[in-house]
Amino acid sequence: MAVTTEHVLNALRSVHDPDLKRDLVSLGFIKDLTVQGGRVAFKIELTTPACPVRDIMKEEARAVVAALPGVSQIEITMTSQVRRSVSGAAGDQLVPTIKNIIPIASGKGGVGKSTVSANLALALAKSGARVGVMDADVYGPSIPTILGVTDAPEVDEQNRITPVEQSGLKVMSMGFFMKPEEAVIWRGPMLHKTVQQFLGGVIWGELDYLIVDLPPGTGDVQLSLCQMIPITGAVIVSTPQDVALNVAQKAIAMFKKLNAPILGIVENMSYYLCPHCGKRDDIFGTGGAKQIAERLAIPFLGEIPLATPIRVASDTGRPMVLTDPNSPSAKAFTEVAERLAAQVSIKGMQGELTPEVKVTF
Amino acid sequence: MMAEMIKSLVPVEIGRANEYDLKITWQDGHVSVYPARELRLKCPCAGCVDELTGVVRVIGTSVPQDVHPLKIHLVGRYAISIDWSDSHRTGIYAFDLLRKLCPCCQAGHGCGCAKGSTC
Repeated sequence: MAVTTEHVLNALRSVHDPDLKRDLVSLGFIKDLTVQGGRVAFKIELTTPACPVRDIMKEEARAVVAALPGVSQIEITMTSQVRRSVSGAAGDQLVPTIKNIIPIASGKGGVGKSTVSANLALALAKSGARVGVMDADVYGPSIPTILGVTDAPEVDEQNRITPVEQSGLKVMSMGFFMKPEEAVIWRGPMLHKTVQQFLGGVIWGELDYLIVDLPPGTGDVQLSLCQMIPITGAVIVSTPQDVALNVAQKAIAMFKKLNAPILGIVENMSYYLCPHCGKRDDIFGTGGAKQIAERLAIPFLGEIPLATPIRVASDTGRPMVLTDPNSPSAKAFTEVAERLAAQVSIKGMQGELTPEVKVTF
Repeated sequence: MMAEMIKSLVPVEIGRANEYDLKITWQDGHVSVYPARELRLKCPCAGCVDELTGVVRVIGTSVPQDVHPLKIHLVGRYAISIDWSDSHRTGIYAFDLLRKLCPCCQAGHGCGCAKGSTC
């Protein structure tokens, strides 16, 4: 019996995306399917290049097609097309070329937001995505140090800023415009203007993900960002101890109040592995963020260890995801980035099912 | 999911009930109609309502009888702002506030909602 495209598609209907919980065919992931005699070729177009189960799905697809009688050769190409969640009039006007905007937030300061932001952005970029980092912590911009940016961005006559390109990321920070010994001492309206400028006044180009490193707390920058654009969803970073988690819940409450989705919680400084004896020590306790995630029904994205190399990497501008990708710390960041990308895809899917508010006045 | 808003608090469509008045169709199917001037007098901005005490500061007699929205903008995912014909435009009407202000829900008739409930 000759193999037909129908046979192949029927077989592929049994392969499910575990995150999106639908089969590859109804998701529209199968592209350019050709059948010539026993030779089958197709593309699987995922919703993110950082898909954590990419290889598993590819092998499952290969197995079900190989099981069809008459198939002699299979060629599968994995591609991705990140879908846009930042839609609507405001998004189209301000950031027409950005598909997803993901603020990294915390309640308390000092929990490692900037380190997490930088490494997540790098992990996403390494997977093949087009990624930008917007350092919205105008008071204490750390992204230039952590990413080792020494160039200054270009500003054209219309005051539009070309972001600095570093390690495959497009980077924008208040730190580029200030001397280290200077301070930003601003009231709300100036912060609002800066957020607006960083979104609409920066030539970001086509981006799959814009990671926004927020200042701590629930203030002007967070509010301005959530008012200006329909953000994809926020990531909450917390250390495991109660004092940080209690405040992290306030950040969650803020996003909930602003009807901004929460993509998940990351537990940073989750545990310490002694480099001398290898013994694990839960300096700040451990697992607290996971418990809160479960209680609030928010995805838990993973744990990042407290490790001297992460601190050194951040201080020297050589992030671990780049310089030591096989280290446990870098792997932890990469896993969190993959789970985050999966959550963005899920949100994108849900967005297609529930269209945004239509304003006809 | 905790992080998502409940259906009765998210609009599907925000449009006109007539030339001046605002109509909101909510995700739970409920339809609210807001007489323009009443909505203007409920403006939640800091100029119209004292931020700390909640005392209403907007003076009714200073607002024209025929005040009406000129343009409505979405604010993020949680609210709208309205450019009014009397040049006022600082209020941000959050969806949950709008549902609370729904005239028929407030009156407790027409929609089967209890008086004062947010449905």
